[in-house]
Amino acid sequence: MTRRQAPPAPSRGATPLKKRGDGLAALAFLSPSIVTFVIFVLAPTLGVLYLSFYDWNLLSDGTFVGLDNFERLASDERLLRVYGSTAYMALVILAVNVVLGLLLAVLLEAKMPRLLRGFFRLSFLFPFVVSASAVALIWRFLLNKDLGLVNWFLGSLGIDRIDWLGSSVWAPISVIIVNSWKTIGFSILVYIAGLQAIPGALKEAAIVDGANAWTRFWRITFPLLSPTIFFLVVINTINSFQIFAEPRVLTQGGPGDASRTIVEYLYDRAFGDFDLGYASAIGITFMLILIVLTAIQFRFSRRWTFYE
Amino acid sequence: MDVLRVSRLLSRTATFVILAVAAIAITAPFLWIFRGAFAASDAELYKLPPSFDPGNLTGANFGKVTEQVPYFRFFANSIIVSTTVTIAQLVTCSTAAYAFARLRFRGKGVLFAVVIGSLMIPIQVTIVPLFLVMSKLSLTNTLWSLILPGIFSGFGIFLLRQHFLALPYELEEAAKLDGAGHFRTFARVILPLSGPSLATLGILCFTYWWNDLLLPLVMISDTERQTLPVGLVLLAGRFSTGSLGTIAAGIALAIVPVLIVFLAAQRYIVQSIASSGLKL
Repeated sequence: MTRRQAPPAPSRGATPLKKRGDGLAALAFLSPSIVTFVIFVLAPTLGVLYLSFYDWNLLSDGTFVGLDNFERLASDERLLRVYGSTAYMALVILAVNVVLGLLLAVLLEAKMPRLLRGFFRLSFLFPFVVSASAVALIWRFLLNKDLGLVNWFLGSLGIDRIDWLGSSVWAPISVIIVNSWKTIGFSILVYIAGLQAIPGALKEAAIVDGANAWTRFWRITFPLLSPTIFFLVVINTINSFQIFAEPRVLTQGGPGDASRTIVEYLYDRAFGDFDLGYASAIGITFMLILIVLTAIQFRFSRRWTFYE
Repeated sequence: MDVLRVSRLLSRTATFVILAVAAIAITAPFLWIFRGAFAASDAELYKLPPSFDPGNLTGANFGKVTEQVPYFRFFANSIIVSTTVTIAQLVTCSTAAYAFARLRFRGKGVLFAVVIGSLMIPIQVTIVPLFLVMSKLSLTNTLWSLILPGIFSGFGIFLLRQHFLALPYELEEAAKLDGAGHFRTFARVILPLSGPSLATLGILCFTYWWNDLLLPLVMISDTERQTLPVGLVLLAGRFSTGSLGTIAAGIALAIVPVLIVFLAAQRYIVQSIASSGLKL
């Protein structure tokens, strides 16, 4: 990938008029975003902070409870369990997207008829545009223990029936499979874009030098692809920690909390129990975790991404 | 020499087999659900191994879908919400992206940091106060409560800014010399050059809001005002007679429009992600 060149600064100092900048125009161009940001992002974000100090159930007036909600967080064993299962599912989904996605994208670069390549690309990407709740409903049938197609297929290979949705070992794995199945196409697409940006001349030179495919991949493709990989790690981390629809429709978070995600837990506290203050405190922990994860990734990225 | 040729043949076969297996694993569930939508009975659908008999197909399931839930209302609601959010987002994001890419003003760095920071505050975190904001504005249980929260998009601004930055500056210089102001430069020079990236943002935005389950679940209480993702869950759960064929028909009906939009525009997505250097 080539680094984008910054545009030349608009004729700095060429005309005295320009020196004042484009403040008014900028305000006009930015105002739709600023207004919607303030009302629908900033205010609710501050609202989360504010609510987390209150005990409020929508009906009565809220009472200020100081740090009570945060003390509850510390003693909420379920919260810890839910974070555990969320992290487990999110990390595996992330790994599947980044590793399997790369493998499939690289294989797609092989010589083949255009039409076939187009067919593969389309079929990989298609689940990405279908709603998660439709996807989860389809898989709820496919993964049914007694009547599902998946167990029938495994049975024909001599594998015993698996209780995909009802056992605490397999339920999170089902969520992982279904979510990865849905999201991997996007990762593949981003990889394809990254691979196409690698100059062909570099590969040809390596072939002339006698490097085999394996060496070419690790010495040329992989380093040049590192910004793409980094982008996917960040985006997939943020996305896979936010899963809601798949566990909701597939397993209702169960059995127990085995496949429950943090968003589901927050949703149930807020709109099931109407425990809005506590749900807000959970929201804050979630936001902090996302910020820390992203910051860590940015820090590490300097070590291993390579910008041309 | 021969060893080389054999190994090349082997690796090509392996490549093809892996891709084919992945493609089958991804498309088979859709084929199964489309077939199920036309199945005459549930017993037929649950028959293993799955069989396909063209003589046994029926369109009756689609009729049952609309009998059991106000399916077309769900559909219309989803269309209204997703298209409105998409159009609004294209406007707010492209204008903001132009300001960040081309204008000089005080506080630009800070504002852009805010945009990037907003990527880390997903709607799932702010859903509770968002619900309160909407009920303060008396907008809960209306489609506005699903449209308004989607209009600002940090991701969209970022994506378009990256693309605008990559556009050659000479064209705008020419427009400036002709006396064009910022608005005309934006509308006549920048936007026409940005088809693929606008299309990409449009598709990503449309599919996200077409598919969202959480926001309608929180905001909407009347069945009549629900969107498709919740509608499908209703069809499968509370209201349904439990017929698999009916649910399959509902899912198939929901998939077809995205399939069409997707087939029409997929070329742009690949192009634009390739050309705008989608990276952090």
